[in-house]
Amino acid sequence: MDTGKKIIEIHNLNIGYPSKTIFSGINLSAYQGELIALIGINGAGKSTLLRTLARLQKESSGKVTIEGNNIHQYSIKTFAQRVSFVSTEPVYVSNLNVKELVALGRFPHTNWLGKLDEKDSAAVERAIHKTNIENLAEKNINQISDGERQRAMIARTIAQDTDIIILDEPTAFLDLPNRYETVSLLKALSKNENKTVIFSTHDLNIAIRQADKIWLIQKDKIIEGAPEDLVLNNCFTHIFESSKISFDIEKGDFTIPASMNRSVKLTGDGAEYLWTVKALERLGYLVSDSNNENITVRITRENNRLNWVIEKENCKFAVNSIYELSAILGRR
Amino acid sequence: MQQVNKTRFYLFGLLFIILIAAFLFDLFIGSANIPLPEIVKILFTHESSRPEWISIINDFRLPKVITAILAGAALSVSGLQMQTVFRNPLAGPDVLGITAGASLGVAVVVLGISSFFSFDTFMLFGNWAIVIAACIGSGLILLLIFAVSLRVRDIITILILGIMFGSATIAIVSILQYFSPAPTLKAFVIWTMGSLGGVTKSQLWILLPCVILGLFTAVLSSKILNALLLGENYAKSLGVNIKTSRFLIFFSTSLLAGSVTAFCGPIGFIGIAVPHVTRMIFKTSHHIYLIWGSILIGSVTMLASDILSLLPGKENALPINSVTALLGIPIVIWIIIKNKKIV
Repeated sequence: MDTGKKIIEIHNLNIGYPSKTIFSGINLSAYQGELIALIGINGAGKSTLLRTLARLQKESSGKVTIEGNNIHQYSIKTFAQRVSFVSTEPVYVSNLNVKELVALGRFPHTNWLGKLDEKDSAAVERAIHKTNIENLAEKNINQISDGERQRAMIARTIAQDTDIIILDEPTAFLDLPNRYETVSLLKALSKNENKTVIFSTHDLNIAIRQADKIWLIQKDKIIEGAPEDLVLNNCFTHIFESSKISFDIEKGDFTIPASMNRSVKLTGDGAEYLWTVKALERLGYLVSDSNNENITVRITRENNRLNWVIEKENCKFAVNSIYELSAILGRR
Repeated sequence: MQQVNKTRFYLFGLLFIILIAAFLFDLFIGSANIPLPEIVKILFTHESSRPEWISIINDFRLPKVITAILAGAALSVSGLQMQTVFRNPLAGPDVLGITAGASLGVAVVVLGISSFFSFDTFMLFGNWAIVIAACIGSGLILLLIFAVSLRVRDIITILILGIMFGSATIAIVSILQYFSPAPTLKAFVIWTMGSLGGVTKSQLWILLPCVILGLFTAVLSSKILNALLLGENYAKSLGVNIKTSRFLIFFSTSLLAGSVTAFCGPIGFIGIAVPHVTRMIFKTSHHIYLIWGSILIGSVTMLASDILSLLPGKENALPINSVTALLGIPIVIWIIIKNKKIV
C-alpha cells in the first residue's frame, strides 16, 4: 500500500490554556489525501486540538510539524497558504455574497489591496464549481440555508488553495442529507485534490463509513487508526463514561440498551422479524428462541397481510401492526 | 461583474458631482450675499471686485467648509471601521463612547493642564495638545470597549457598556468643570456645543494631516477589514496579522474620531449612519468601495448638515450637533428595526 506523504506530525503535544491543560501527550499523524475524523465527547478538547493545529491557539508544550517544519516556523502568510480553517462560529455578514465570501479565500495570495487577478478569479470560479454552488454565487450569505453556507465556507477553503483543511464540527447545524453531502464533499476533496482534511464530528456513523482515519479522544489518550480497526479493537466502547450508552460492534453505532428484564420467544423471518426484534428490544424484552418463555410472538403472513400472534399468560392476541403489539407487550 | 463595476464607477462620479455642488452651495450660503461666480473667482484667482468678500470666503467660509468635509469623511470612516471590527451594526464613535473619551482628553487639557500655564504659553502648543489628548482619550475608550467585546459577544451588552463608559467620562469631565475657573470653563462649554465654524486656519492645518493620515491608514487596511468581516479567527486563518491590523485600525479610528472631536466638538450620528447608507447604495461589503463611498457620502452629509443649520435664519446658525442627530437618528432606528438579530 502506498502510504503517501506524511504531512502533519504531532509530537508529544499538550494543549490547553496557560491556566489549564486540557489534554497532554498527544501523538498523531496525517498523510496527504487523508480524510480524518476527530471524535470525542463534548469538552474532550476537540476544538482546542483543531485550533492548536490551525495555529489559532498556542500549544502548552510539544510540537506540531508540517512536512517536518514546526508550524511556528511558517510566516503568517505562508501558513495561510498551507492550512485553511472552518470554525463552528456561524458567519453572518450583510451585503456579502457567496462569491465575495469565497474570494476572501484568496487573501494570502493577493496583494495589499486584495485585488483578484486572473489566476485568483479562476481559483474562485473553480472552488464555486467544485462545491456545486454556482446558482448561489450572487446570493447574500444571510439569505442561504445553513447547509449552503457550509458549502460556501468549504469553497472558501478550496479557493485558499491549501493542502490541509481543518474543520471544526462542519456538520453540527445541518440536517441529515446535508451532513452526508458535506462529508462526501470533504471526502471528494481528499481523494480528488489530494488534500488532507481533518474534521471533528459527533456523527460516528458517518465518520466510520467515510473517514480514512479516526483520531479518537479517549479518557486519557488520543488514539488513531482506520475506523474498522478501532471498532474491532473495541476502542469506541470506552469513550463514554456513562454505562447507559454502549457501542454496538455489529451496527457500528452507539445504542441505549433498555434494561432487558423480560424475555420473549419470537418466531418469524424476513425484515418483519428484524424490526420486531428492534421493537421488542426497545420495550425491554430479550428475544430468545427457547421454548421456556412465558410470552411468545409468532409472525405470520396471510393474504399478504402481516399478523403478530401473541400468547401471554394463557391469553392469545392477534394484531396487525407493531404499534398494537407494543401496546399489549408494553404494559407492565 | 463588469456591469457592477460600471455602476459603482457612475455612483462615484455622481457622488463627486454632488460633493462639488454641496461644497459651492455651502460657500454661497451665509449672511453676506456673495454671487456664485465671484466665489469661484475668489477660489481660483484670489481676486474679487470687493476685497472684503475675499476675506469672508478665505478666512471664514472656506475653512468651515473644508472642516465639514474632513469631519464628515473622518467620522464616517471611523464608524465604518468600528462596525467591521466589532462586527456590530450599531458601533460608531459616539455610540461606543469614543467621542466621550476624546472629550475627556480635551477636558483634561483645557480645564486641567491649561490652568498651570499662562494663556500665551498654552496657545503655543495648545492645539497640538488638544488633538493628542483627544486621540489618546478616544484610543483608551476604544481599547477598553475592545477588551470587553472579546469576552462579550452580545451587541446590546457592548452598547450598554459603551454608554456606561461614555457616562463615566462625562462624569469625570463634570468634576473637572466644577473645579475650573470661569474663563476656561466657558471655552470648554462652547467647545462641547460642537461647531464647524470655530475651527481656525491654524487648527485646520493640524486637522488636515491628521484626517489624511487616518484615511490613508484606513485605505491601507481595507483588505484586512474585508477579512475581519468573518471575525478574528477566520481573519487569522486567512493570514491576517491580528496584532498589526488591530494597531492600524485602532490608530486610524482614534486619530479620525479624536482629531475631529478635538476641534469640532462631539458630533453625533454621522459615524454610525453614513456607513449604512454607503452599504445600502453600493450594495457591497468590500471595504475599498465602502471607505471611498463613506468619505464621499460623509462629506456630502456634513456639508448638507451645515447648509441645513444655516437655513432658518441667516444671522444665527443652528448647532451642528442637533442637525446631524435629526438626520442620523431615523437611519439608526431603521437599522435597529431592520436588524433581526437585535430585535
